[in-house]
Amino acid sequence: MRLFGLETEYGITRDDLAEVDPVVESMELVRAHLTASFERRWDYAGEDPHEDARGFRVSGLAQDKEENEFVERDAHRPFSFHDMKSDLVLPNGARFYNDHTHPEYSTPECRTLKDLLAQDRAGERIVQRAADRRNKTLGGEHVQLYKNNTDFHGHSYGCHDNYLVPRSIPFFRLVAGLLPFLVSRQMITGAGKVGIEAQESGFVPGHFQLSQRADFMETELSVDTMHNRPILNTRDEPHADPRKFRRLHLIIGDANMCEYATALKVGTTRLVLELIERKAVPSLELDQPVAAVKQLSRDSDLKGVVRQKNGSSISGLDIQEQYYRAAVQTFTGLDEETDWVLREWGDTLTLLGQDRRRLIGKLDWVTKLWLLETFMQEERIGWDDPWLASLDLEYHNVHPERGLYLGLEAEGKAWRMTAEADIQRALATGPADTRGGVRGLCVRRFSDQIKSMQWERVRFIGGLLSPTLDMSGLFEPAEVNRCLAIFEAAASPMDALTAWNERKDSRS
Amino acid sequence: MERKKGFAIMSYNTMPERREGPVDPMPNPGSTEEGGGPRRPEGDSPEKGNLLKRMKKVDPKQAERYRQRTGE
Repeated sequence: MRLFGLETEYGITRDDLAEVDPVVESMELVRAHLTASFERRWDYAGEDPHEDARGFRVSGLAQDKEENEFVERDAHRPFSFHDMKSDLVLPNGARFYNDHTHPEYSTPECRTLKDLLAQDRAGERIVQRAADRRNKTLGGEHVQLYKNNTDFHGHSYGCHDNYLVPRSIPFFRLVAGLLPFLVSRQMITGAGKVGIEAQESGFVPGHFQLSQRADFMETELSVDTMHNRPILNTRDEPHADPRKFRRLHLIIGDANMCEYATALKVGTTRLVLELIERKAVPSLELDQPVAAVKQLSRDSDLKGVVRQKNGSSISGLDIQEQYYRAAVQTFTGLDEETDWVLREWGDTLTLLGQDRRRLIGKLDWVTKLWLLETFMQEERIGWDDPWLASLDLEYHNVHPERGLYLGLEAEGKAWRMTAEADIQRALATGPADTRGGVRGLCVRRFSDQIKSMQWERVRFIGGLLSPTLDMSGLFEPAEVNRCLAIFEAAASPMDALTAWNERKDSRS
Repeated sequence: MERKKGFAIMSYNTMPERREGPVDPMPNPGSTEEGGGPRRPEGDSPEKGNLLKRMKKVDPKQAERYRQRTGE
């Protein structure tokens, strides 16, 4: 089952105040998206970050104490929890809200990389459009947004990639199959970072790392996401029928500016999941995966090796190479998109080892390193100059006239895989082959008749038991198409639900 | 600290143009009016030196002031 999506928390600043309230700023940013007043619609039922995929429920999370303190503080604010979250469901089926003081854009569920890239880029446009509106209200370009993962002072925020996987795959097999892959994935997907830091402490300049998140990985497995961050998050929140599915929620990834890096991040991970399902994953077991994540991140020469449990050593490139070869053997010729991923994965590994300059504009860390080295040469400064961290930050600014990556892209030096028309379509509609498209259609057609929404269902106004579209098992593209056709043609949500349920009844 | 190892520093001006993109396109099942595949973005491209100018405008102290709360 192919279904994936990205959740991106954006960094936010405001430069016209001595002290910025991040709760208010993030909330106002999301609200700026609206042209009408905010209506509380997001349904939080079914969201429980305490459920653990290892088969138990934790009584608390590492962040609970801090979260409770925030809740207590926020209780004195002149707005409610729901106002503060300002959860929106957009006409493209995406979710846009204030998550932990960061504006977060979650793409609708996607089935193809092409759709995912368009939806991710649409997210950049949506948050920047909200910033433009907010700045218009403020009377200046005071609010800036960053698609990155660190503040260089020990505070990280995430870009999570999510995959629907069959529940039938035991979780321990996912862990064993994924850990070495995720430890080494940063060689392709790292966004690059100046300096070294640790959770909520310190910053050491003078280094360049492949990954923004590596410094924040503290354990192999954990249900936590804000402290004690794991390489493999065990949160069990499938947003689908829990008897049939899991949602693999990966928090180790960086937010990518390069479309090519995003495509390979999700494309290769999806193939590794399918390798695990087919029991075709290479047999690798690292001795200390958490140390290995940091070690590989701090080795931009890609020459270092990490220890395996069997006592031998292996380089990050060789780990990736083993996964790549297994994928080639198993999936070559499967379909056009898979062949694209295999070809580009192999080429990228070759170029990383031989001529990485050819990956400028394709991989973020390579591109950022090249920009910084060029700048250092031009300005005659060294790696310990604080200017470099500022340039690192500005690489991720999503303002088209400020962001360094977007400037590079405007000069035609970044690898574009989306067309402007793709992005414009993604701004208006969700994928036509996933329930994200159905969610978006409901927003476009029946917005004033929606009582609540979330990933799995849409509840409409009417009656004691709200008429509900249940999408917890709506994954087959043909079924999605039929559902879309019914909701497109119906005069009302009730008509649509009646037709949809009759159709389902006649099949059962 | 000077970088002693790693790939050679590459001058901005020697950066190969990426305007043509690779031959193999990204699969584009939905097909768009412009077709699929990597290519340059729309609109006029500024002069090469503009990115360096943009970099020089960045406040060296910007990252020092940048503070966020821990997210997920």
